Formats: sequence, C-alpha cells, structure tokens
Amino acid sequence: MEKLTFDSLQVGDALPSISHTVKQETFWKYAVGSFDYNPVHCDPDWVSTAQPFGIPQTVAHGMMTWSFMVTVATNWAYPSTATITKITSKFLRPVPAGTTMTCSGIVSEKHVIRPGKHFVVVELKAENQDGDLLGVSQAEIVFPE
Amino acid sequence: MSRSNLEQFFETGKQREFDTDFFKGAEEYEVWDEIDFDSQEEIPGEQTFEIKAEDMKSYAAGCLDDNPLFTDEEYARNSPYGQLLAHPIFHTQIIFWCIGSKGRGNWIRTPGSRNPGQYLEIYEPFRVGETIHLGMRPYDRWIKRGKYYLSYEINMYNQDNVKKAKAIGTLILPKSRDDIRKFLQGLRGLED
Repeated sequence: MEKLTFDSLQVGDALPSISHTVKQETFWKYAVGSFDYNPVHCDPDWVSTAQPFGIPQTVAHGMMTWSFMVTVATNWAYPSTATITKITSKFLRPVPAGTTMTCSGIVSEKHVIRPGKHFVVVELKAENQDGDLLGVSQAEIVFPE
Repeated sequence: MSRSNLEQFFETGKQREFDTDFFKGAEEYEVWDEIDFDSQEEIPGEQTFEIKAEDMKSYAAGCLDDNPLFTDEEYARNSPYGQLLAHPIFHTQIIFWCIGSKGRGNWIRTPGSRNPGQYLEIYEPFRVGETIHLGMRPYDRWIKRGKYYLSYEINMYNQDNVKKAKAIGTLILPKSRDDIRKFLQGLRGLED
C-alpha cells in the first residue's frame, strides 16, 4: 500500500469505504465490547413497547456506527503511521437490525500549521442501503511529513 | 433480555465481571433535572481500568474491525507503532467500566437514552499496562425540540496523571425520575 504523507494528500481524496449488515447479534457483540448494555440496543422485548426511538425495534449503538466510520479513517491512515487527534460525530437516524451500513470518507481540509502539527480533516459518513444518511463524523489526522 | 445472549461473546475478565443489567438500580441513576452544575471539581469514576491487550482486542471485535494493529500483538509489535493499538473509540469501554453502576455519571446507563453525537480529543494513545482513571464534570444541559440533552466532560488519565483523552459525552435523556420509571415499566418516557 502506498505510504501517505501530508504533502501527498489533496482535498477531495476519497477513502476506501466499508460495509456491514447489522443484526441483533451485532448489537449484542458490540455491547459486550463496549460495556454499553442499554436495552434500546440489547432487549427486543422491552423496545417493542418502550420505543425510545419511536419504533418497536432495537437499534445499533451510536458508538458502533461511529466506530465503523472511524474504521474507514484508520484503515486508510494507520498504514502510514498517522495519528488521529480529534473526532466528532452526529447520529441522524436510528439503525435497526437488517440495515446494511456503508461508511465512506473524503479529505475535506488541509491545515498547514508547522512541521509535525500539520493535519487533515476527513469527513466521514454512514449511509443505509437506500442512501439515507445515518451519521456523520469528522476526524483530524496528523500525517508524517 | 437473557444474559446468555451476551455471554456467548464474553472473552475477558472484565466482561464476565461487569454488571450488564442497566435496569437494576436505574431509579437511583443521576437524572437530567437533578444534575448539580455548581461544583466544577472533577468527579472520579467508581473504579479504574487496567488496560490489557484482551480489552483492546475485544473492542475491535465488537466493532467488527479486524485491523491487525488492533487485534494481533505480534503484528503490531513489528509495525512502526511498536505495540498494540486501541481502536480510537475504545474509550467507550473505559468510560462505561470506570463509571460503573452506582457512581456519578451513571446516567449514561439510563434505559431509553439516545445518543445524538459525541466529541473526543486524543492526546496520547492508550497503552497496554496503563491504569486509567476518570475525572468528570457536568458540562452542559439544554432543551431542543422537546429533547433533554446532558453532557459531561470526561477526562481520562493514566496512573502518572498524564491526560490521555478528553470526551464530551452527550445523551438525550428522560427529563425526570418519573420519566425513567415509565421506561422501567416498558412505557415511553420521552416527551418528543
């Protein structure tokens, strides 16, 4: 894989995307990995009446959706010994079981500060199989010179 | 929810030990309209988190990430990083573990809460062998379109008090303890 450097990156560069189809087992597995056992993700019986999102189904953890988006960045940047320093996220739609989530990213900004501190901003997004936006994230990534 | 649905995925000591029942004691969780914003002193978590390789690997497994930098200690040792890396969102596991079920910040366990978005700054990578503790403070509380938002600033320090990361953790919560009780009865306890 080609080593990326700050100089080699251009605004508009696209990151390779990933896709996952999520199931109830995916939510349970993420709960175990994150210690977030909120019943809105883990308990289909409770959600059928409590409906925090207004639907009678469990939904994916926002943190899992975020993790998928960030994986797009780490898959792309970490082979070049880059460092992620700041990440934000916003979750726009609930993600019920059966959703195929595709996450992608694009370089949106280059910040020229000083050697060792230059960074790029990557805009990440998660979409479902219908192209609806599920979540967005921004990551600041420092690349070697 | 049957615990066996979860146990099939348990691999680490912490996973076997952690209290997975978010309903238990939920009537006593901190609640949106009772948070004290007057004191801005950092609040410690209920317990510390000693980072083991299995913890990092279990987070990567949970988010279906098979990057060998997160999952293969030998590969990572021979990489330019020289050691196993944590997935950047690994702090989620640390925060839920450290806050626990009875301490301040336990509103993050509230049944019926929703995640609108998060913020994270990473100052240094987490390393296997470090022991992480939290310093938290109430950060913001607001109402927007009938939803009740609460944020804590959550600072993560290692055993030498080196600040490793800062998160602004935000959830949309039931407004009051009565609303939480509705959720505990399987009823919707949100106003929007």
